[in-house]
Amino acid sequence: MARVILRLAPWLSVAAVALAWELFARSGAVTPFMLPKLTTVLARIGADAASGDLLHNLGLTLYRSLLGFLLATILGIALGFAVSQNRFVRWLLDPVISVGFPMPKIAFLPILTLWLGFHDVSKISMVVFDAVFPVLTATIAATAAVERELVWSARNLGATRGELLREVLFPAALPQIMTGLQVALPIALIVCIVAEMKLGGVGLGGAMITASRFADSPGVFAGIVEIALAGYVLVKLMAALRRRLLAWHPEALAPASV
Amino acid sequence: MFMFDSRAAPVKQQIVIDSVSHRYRPARGRAVLALEDVSLEIAPQEFVALLGPSGCGKSTLLYLVGGFLPVEKGSIRVEGAPVAAPGPDRGIVFQHFALFPWKTVRANVRYGLEKMGLAREEQERRAQGYIDLVGLKGFEESFPSQLSGGMKQRAALARTLAVEPKMLLMDEPFGALDAQTRSLMQSELLALWQKTQKTVVFVTHDVQEAVLLAQRVVVMSARPGRVKAIVPIELDKTDPHLFRSPAFAAKVDEIWSLVREEALKAQ
Amino acid sequence: MTESGKEHPAVETGPPPARGRLVGTFLKYSPLLLLALLWEGVVQLGLVSRDLLPSLSEVLKAAWNLAREGDLWQNGLSSAYRGAAGLALAIVVGGSLGIAMAWWRPVDAFMGPLVEALYPLPKSALIPVTVLWLGFGDGSKILLIFLGCMIPVTIGAYNGARSCEQALVWSARSLGASRLRVLRDVVVPSALPELLNGIRTALALTFVLLVSSELIVSRSGLGYLIGFLGEGGIYDAMFAVVLVVAFMGFFADRLYQLFVRRVLAWRE
Repeated sequence: MARVILRLAPWLSVAAVALAWELFARSGAVTPFMLPKLTTVLARIGADAASGDLLHNLGLTLYRSLLGFLLATILGIALGFAVSQNRFVRWLLDPVISVGFPMPKIAFLPILTLWLGFHDVSKISMVVFDAVFPVLTATIAATAAVERELVWSARNLGATRGELLREVLFPAALPQIMTGLQVALPIALIVCIVAEMKLGGVGLGGAMITASRFADSPGVFAGIVEIALAGYVLVKLMAALRRRLLAWHPEALAPASV
Repeated sequence: MFMFDSRAAPVKQQIVIDSVSHRYRPARGRAVLALEDVSLEIAPQEFVALLGPSGCGKSTLLYLVGGFLPVEKGSIRVEGAPVAAPGPDRGIVFQHFALFPWKTVRANVRYGLEKMGLAREEQERRAQGYIDLVGLKGFEESFPSQLSGGMKQRAALARTLAVEPKMLLMDEPFGALDAQTRSLMQSELLALWQKTQKTVVFVTHDVQEAVLLAQRVVVMSARPGRVKAIVPIELDKTDPHLFRSPAFAAKVDEIWSLVREEALKAQ
Repeated sequence: MTESGKEHPAVETGPPPARGRLVGTFLKYSPLLLLALLWEGVVQLGLVSRDLLPSLSEVLKAAWNLAREGDLWQNGLSSAYRGAAGLALAIVVGGSLGIAMAWWRPVDAFMGPLVEALYPLPKSALIPVTVLWLGFGDGSKILLIFLGCMIPVTIGAYNGARSCEQALVWSARSLGASRLRVLRDVVVPSALPELLNGIRTALALTFVLLVSSELIVSRSGLGYLIGFLGEGGIYDAMFAVVLVVAFMGFFADRLYQLFVRRVLAWRE
């Protein structure tokens, strides 16, 4: 029984919040403009889905953010391995990473727009710029933490340099790299949305900012709910992917305990 | 009965360590002299233990023979050729098993065989043979995280033996196991050694283990490591009650007094 | 791959001399200097058009002019006010809330679900709604930063307070301390590291939310200035402000880390 409740707990939280929202909106303490009823917002989402707008906006946002995320993953892992294997690359990139990490990289959006225009390319590039950092730092930390004995065993058994990288370093570093990916994915989504808000056009961000300009309150709140849902689904998918790829990891094989 | 026959004609030494010194350079701070002027010769099929207190450099010496660390001063030759890099001729077994956690036992054992370029059926055959030899039959598809410490070490042994190295370099291989498993593994290792007749260089800080397993015990001094003494062990290894014999106890005492001085220095 | 041999004992050596440390820091950051030289070189040599990439010297000159003419200060102050106000509110309210949630179960039961539900929500998604409520001025930015930063601070305070060892609390109580005193003298100090870490996250988030909202929906502030200069085609000044903002974020984080080290050292 306790296990069932624990599994339902997150849903109960959301239900509690949803209930609170609906009651508060109906109470008359705030105007429908300030806080439209949850039912109104959900109806609006339904209408957008029916008209195809939701799919259009969501689809574009997902396309841009996921493509950017993929590119950031490839770039981050490749650079991360380069840093771990080559002292010169490490010397070159260390300060860039440590200075770049805490910067509000969204500030560079106008520069990217200047160079790459107002369409998908600049938005995707912004996503890559922001999302590459957690992947990069995770990869560097992961490769540094690989047990020396694992590498030595592989060399002892006859592995070449390339085989070491592909067959030993990469799988050994994978758990921590995946954690970096799990951090980077929500970043990719939100950076894409902010870029869309700035540059307008089609996409969840663009739709939301248009709604706010037209004082379309249900539209704005619908956007928040849609983004929250999209983010939630993506995070869950990532977690499932992690479980699949890391089926051998002790944390995955340990029996689940309540 | 397998004993080192000192009456036989002089054998060409398999491992020749000549005046080796080694400086350990940590990422931060000054370099430390880990080994100083160590010379040692090991015959083929010999079982030699490197014994000494923590920090005496015994593992470092093993790593140098294995080719994992570069020989900067002095020389190490294996069958006449200087050691340049790690290779399957000098199989290594680590204290913490170093199994590839993302591979099953079978995949781990097959790894070296894949690197050798053997045909698939040959790989399977040999891998299965060695898995059976170490007593892991039935656990071929298990992942390391599903195995106990003793089983992990058996898997690591199988993986190293599968490539049929000329010698085994063992770095405190039973140090992470509980006392009972350790005792079991010790007798199994002896049996394995007598069966496969490989040279074994065995690093340990446990005097009893060294006397039990080795034909010669190399006692090393505290840091910087030097060869303090080399004690031959002329005991019958096939005696199941060896552990309790007075000759055994006497040998342990003899070596322990040598080690004790160094252990105190290392404090 | 580091050579951290298990057998190798700690080496007796002190910290490197002060001059050595300075040289070390310079060497560590010198790639950035190289990058700067590369930037300047690439533009001066005509490899990249000046329309796309003003040279570093031009950008620095523009920054100087902006500072002299007061644009930088005016907008900077506006941004700083919003950021500081929002973050300060988030720290005070979020910190208290987190500790209250850890200390009093009914508060946890009541606020817990709300915090949990809001945690995964990307905070920048709140930009349009704050504009809807409070328009284009300071209020919407402060509210945005307050709401966004409250979550990491609350969670940090909560986890920090929860991790306070029961043994400490019990021994304080047994010595006669009232619940409130225990809270103040035992729980809050041990919650500090996690709380400070949550604030560090909130600090970075403040910059991101501030810049984002000012880029999109503002009529003043550094983010707005960047957009304004960009639309006006004054690219050297635009680059200048971008770099100023980016480095402000970096230095804020570094200074904060120094501050944290001081606070935690003092507490030891």
